[in-house]
Amino acid sequence: MNSYNIKNILKSKRNLNKTLQLPDKSSAMEAEGGCGVVGFCCTEPVPGKHIHEPSRLMHNRGNGKGGGIAAVGFIPEQLGVSREVLDDYYMLHIAYLDPSARPDVEKIYVDPVFDIKKSTKLDTVDDWKSVPGLEVKPPDVYRYFVRVKDSALSKFISENTFANLDRRDVEDEFINQNSFKLNHEFYVSAKKQTAFVMSQGRNIMILKVVGYAEAVTQYYKIDDLCAHVWIAHQRYPTRGRVWHPGGAHPFTAMNMALVHNGDFANYHSVTEYLKQRNIYPQFITDTEVSAQMFDLLSRIYKYPVEYIIEAFAPTTELDFDRLPNEKQEIYRAIQSTHMHGSPDGPWFFIIARNLIENRKFQLLGITDTAMLRPQVFAFVDGEVQVGIIGSEKQAIDATLESLAKDDKRICPIADKYWNARGGSYSDGGAFMFDIIPDNKGKYRLECKDKFGTPVVITEKTESCDFRKEIPDTKNKEQIEKIINEYAVAGKYIFEFIRDNIPQWSFDDIRIACRATRDIGKDDKYTSYAIDTLTLLNDRQYSTGTKRRSHILQIIRTELNSLFINIPRLRPENDELSEYRLIDFEARSELRGPKDKEKTLVVNSKNFPPEGNECDAMFLVRAYKLGWKNFILFHCAGQRYVGCGFGPETHDLTIDIYGSSGDYLGSGIDGMTITVHGNAQDQLGQIIKQGKLVIHGDVGQTFLYGAKGGSIFVKGNAAGRPMINSVGRPRIVINGTSLDFLGESFMAGDPHNKGGFVILNGMKFNEEGQVVPLPEPYPGSNLFSLASGGAAFIRDPKRQLISEQLNGCIFSPFTEKDWELILPYLTENEKLFGIKLDDLLTVNGKKLNPMKVYRKVSPSIEGTPSTPEQDVYGEEEEVDELAEEVLE
Amino acid sequence: MGRSLENKINLEEILPCNTFKTRVPQVEVEKNIKPAPSRYRNEIAKYLIYRDEEKCIMCGTCVKTCTKGVHVLKKGYKLFATSLSYTCNGFVCEKTENFCVAKCPNGALRLIKNPMMEVMGDFRWTSDMILATWRMAETGEILPEDSDFVYETGDSGGGFDRIRIVFPDKPAKVDSDEIDISLELNRRNDGRPKIKIDVPWYGGGMSFGSISNVTQLAKVRAATAWNTFSCTGEGGYMERLRPYDDHMITQVATGLFGVREETIQRVPIVEFKYAQGAKPGLGGHLLGTKNTPAVAKMREAVQGIPLFSPFPFHSVYSIEDHMKHIDWIKHINPRALISTKVSTPTDVDMVAVGSYYAGTHIIHIDGGYGGTGAAPDIAKKNIAMPIDYAIPKVHNFLSAEGVRDAVVLIASGGIRNYYDIAKAICLGADGVVVGTAELVALCCLRCSRCESGKGCPRGIATTNPELASQVTIEWGTQRIINLYNAWSIGLKDILRRLELKTIKELRGRTDLLIHLDISKKQN
Repeated sequence: MNSYNIKNILKSKRNLNKTLQLPDKSSAMEAEGGCGVVGFCCTEPVPGKHIHEPSRLMHNRGNGKGGGIAAVGFIPEQLGVSREVLDDYYMLHIAYLDPSARPDVEKIYVDPVFDIKKSTKLDTVDDWKSVPGLEVKPPDVYRYFVRVKDSALSKFISENTFANLDRRDVEDEFINQNSFKLNHEFYVSAKKQTAFVMSQGRNIMILKVVGYAEAVTQYYKIDDLCAHVWIAHQRYPTRGRVWHPGGAHPFTAMNMALVHNGDFANYHSVTEYLKQRNIYPQFITDTEVSAQMFDLLSRIYKYPVEYIIEAFAPTTELDFDRLPNEKQEIYRAIQSTHMHGSPDGPWFFIIARNLIENRKFQLLGITDTAMLRPQVFAFVDGEVQVGIIGSEKQAIDATLESLAKDDKRICPIADKYWNARGGSYSDGGAFMFDIIPDNKGKYRLECKDKFGTPVVITEKTESCDFRKEIPDTKNKEQIEKIINEYAVAGKYIFEFIRDNIPQWSFDDIRIACRATRDIGKDDKYTSYAIDTLTLLNDRQYSTGTKRRSHILQIIRTELNSLFINIPRLRPENDELSEYRLIDFEARSELRGPKDKEKTLVVNSKNFPPEGNECDAMFLVRAYKLGWKNFILFHCAGQRYVGCGFGPETHDLTIDIYGSSGDYLGSGIDGMTITVHGNAQDQLGQIIKQGKLVIHGDVGQTFLYGAKGGSIFVKGNAAGRPMINSVGRPRIVINGTSLDFLGESFMAGDPHNKGGFVILNGMKFNEEGQVVPLPEPYPGSNLFSLASGGAAFIRDPKRQLISEQLNGCIFSPFTEKDWELILPYLTENEKLFGIKLDDLLTVNGKKLNPMKVYRKVSPSIEGTPSTPEQDVYGEEEEVDELAEEVLE
Repeated sequence: MGRSLENKINLEEILPCNTFKTRVPQVEVEKNIKPAPSRYRNEIAKYLIYRDEEKCIMCGTCVKTCTKGVHVLKKGYKLFATSLSYTCNGFVCEKTENFCVAKCPNGALRLIKNPMMEVMGDFRWTSDMILATWRMAETGEILPEDSDFVYETGDSGGGFDRIRIVFPDKPAKVDSDEIDISLELNRRNDGRPKIKIDVPWYGGGMSFGSISNVTQLAKVRAATAWNTFSCTGEGGYMERLRPYDDHMITQVATGLFGVREETIQRVPIVEFKYAQGAKPGLGGHLLGTKNTPAVAKMREAVQGIPLFSPFPFHSVYSIEDHMKHIDWIKHINPRALISTKVSTPTDVDMVAVGSYYAGTHIIHIDGGYGGTGAAPDIAKKNIAMPIDYAIPKVHNFLSAEGVRDAVVLIASGGIRNYYDIAKAICLGADGVVVGTAELVALCCLRCSRCESGKGCPRGIATTNPELASQVTIEWGTQRIINLYNAWSIGLKDILRRLELKTIKELRGRTDLLIHLDISKKQN
């Protein structure tokens, strides 16, 4: 937009502020923590009930004192209006905290200024107390479909010299100012807060309550209301007594809804920035000012989304240097203009927008430059496409499961899961999902990063039809026969199935997995079947033209079905079995293992995520009774698995299937934990000894304060892995990390019982082959301020530069170093099938390891201590020292 | 009162089997009060008595006159031994019959104020206060009425030094023996143990590394004797502390040094240290010179290098992360009470109430007055809100929220004596944490050279074995036991004079306080 018009709009806001006599002094922000957030969009309009499962899973990220939802892109018939009205009219939602305020509000802010096409009170359940999780009665909400009256608009134009502006832009501004005035009169300056605008914009709705998010759809009876884009938010306000949802998320601005996870350290500075542009907060939360800021940049300044993102999450450090020159120039200008308005502190946003001019609905996720809040993206491709952004992966899993239950065309496993690298030159730390209409009344989904680069999902597009039962195929008999023969002969079947998957049909694969499951029903072959299906689940291999996610879905379905059919643990079991199944409902029947019983299989499904009844606590009790081997399946983000067992647990193994939770294995001392999938945040903190194997990616602050252990990760680690690690932790990461890898690493001398990390910087391509990432480590801080240990990085092309090392140096990678890491790479090959030869092969040629790996070590001179494995022995020595002191 | 732990809960049932196996028998420490004189023959004295050997006729009048035993003439010696000046009451004596200078027939004695008093200490810890604390640690009694030490307040011109307790004029009716100063630490009714400490204070966290092994042991042994707690600090859990597990608090600080499942499981209280009032916004910092081989081993790090702890918990960026963090520790140790230690930013009230909702049992606010020499000056005196502002702010906010009685509010940061304790409680705290005072009991000079590490002249804040050998465990324990005893006598006396029977009744009684600056204005 040209500067004349911008100035005019901002000037009109100033006049408005003058009439409202807004104070100059900022009020303090309401303290607030992080939250649980999920947003999803779908090419088909989907009903509101799908936010229930993810919302329920995020209860422990909110405290039930603020929940909200937003939806964009409705079906006109469901709202009782025509397509034209839905597209052209503003959908205004006004919340009446006190129903008696409505005539007053309408008399001033609705009736005289709007042409009203339709106005309805949102239907609710009769008794709000019957909705679980609601703390106070939600407000009455009225929905008005309106356009600004011609006369009112013309008056507004002439008063503010808006003649040069597009009439629709003026109308947007009118709505904005009208809502602002309404809020001011009935909310901000009122003695008793009685009404405020919940949402303004076209084809968009926001509703919020004092309670959990899913209570919104239940109370307002919109479980069946369909929309293309949904956001659910669980809030955690720290002040206890909240009597209305004014401060809850999402926050509204023209045609958009914004939710936020985290909080700003510079709320004051951001409000000042906005005040200079005559924009004042009304609800005094950092989320509100974020929405105002976004609105300013997009609607008034008309910045392209890339520049908006840059203004929020500036590109810094090495990432800035790596931008093309022309981008640096623009970004520098953006940063110098908008730095004061850029939120500082941990945050991420999920934004739902109705982009009217471009005729699309958008779901946008922005990660902060420091990457302090976890944010996960997922894309499900196919006939029906789904894009999801969440604060944690289990919320994404739960959403997909819920969607898939209703529509079998949607696979509950996404084709791609990924994180954004905040403020980076590679993806800009933001991704947007656009729902775009085609000519045939259908929609398609596109995903792009900040720079507009499309995200490559998958080239494998053959889908499995999960709607039909497994049919008989011509191969059926033969497949079943071979599997049986192999099992009886005790021969390994995994390779046979793996090698056949490319040419088999989906049905054949289903038959093979089903047959494997069926032989597993015989106790003799249970572990054989579990091992086979687990390998199929964990390993990467070619899938021909078939979607990998669909194959995984087949495998996991059979695996879960195998687990659920394992004989249940009873006080007295007649038949002998190595495996016993137990679930939440039967938890009181737990007893110690008898006869040949070896492994306790726990169905985690209904266990709460934390507290005395959680599955992690249940395992500790079972261990006390003598169980040493555990399989957990149907996990849904339950936390602390592996914690609380105490010292010396070398005899213990835990295998986890499903969505594992935060703090997994934090504190273990000896046991082996295997995660058959992606893992979450805060994994393996303070781990002392033992083995942690992750067949996927791991989340934030992985191995914070670790003291030891052998840890293997098939994929990537998010931000800040291994910070403040001491002792002798030894880690292999086959992918890479977002940033801050090994910050303040202090783990002694790697050649003298100290710790180290091996970073391979590899990924699997769609054919299941190991290939190098574009660069082994994209972040600006590698091993910064480390005082001990070493990082061994596969970097044959010498892409790492010393600017990435803050306080560390490249030192020669020697024969001795190779001898040190070789056993770990060999174990890595055994666990993940990542061949040593593949790691040493560069451009088709196998090289000497010295040419492939590089070593990063601390630059500070210190004398590494030599921690012994036996900590008691070691501390005995400390004691002797004290003894000397005492003599 | 009494020992509340083992009797009430069956540890075997609660602790994981492996942890229980590694539990060592717990040691009792007797709470005997007995003199523990200074480690130095010539303790620093407030007054000095000079004897003119030429004038002295060895008549022994001074020995008979002095009631404090300043003059020492040992049998069979021809000369006086050096005077025990530190026991001298000074010019207070002038008006009494016991003034040796006046009584000396030959005018051989001369009394002066020790010029060292002018340079020792600082405005918060005045030389009088240091010496008075030494005396209390020596005798186990509050100072006699005839002494002229001013130790209720320092000279800082602010904070507790400008606050006074107003006592009623009429004589008190309460018997000191009936007064209960014990404090319950779990008010949540969440099934976790009710832990009661006999005095409304416990020892603050100082890591092995920042202070010596012996100092740490003396602290916890005294805490055991008094049925209260001491804290590991962030440098790890020394093996030798294990016989005192029941009186230890394991600190989980941002560096996570020495924090292991075991060390979390063996104690009744786990403290999260988010920040220190002495240096908010800065993590723990162990100077390179203090990072000796023993310390490096304990922390499993590299010796000789400064060890920094990050300024935040990188796993906790918000209140719901904090809750997750608390749940983690509660999961690892099902019997532990959780204490959350935060410094005092302007929104400390919000932090406190958020912490309460996240499930903490104890909110520990650490104000800006505390800190030994290791905290940088720029941080120590300039960042955190003074504790006397923070306590009422938090207390009132928690009360307005209706949760005040479900959580214990502990204040720290410059609590120097029992007057400070009483004032903090009047302002709204339930109890306090003390740090520096315990070190002063061990003859700390407040020279503020802790950061020089190996150089602590008194062998307290050092990891150098030779220097540390100045202190013995027995002596150190006794000194702190004595100090606690003097404090409890003093605190009970304050309650008696206020006609209160329990320390609980004192909480939030700001009406019993006056602030000198404010009352001046009103006049």
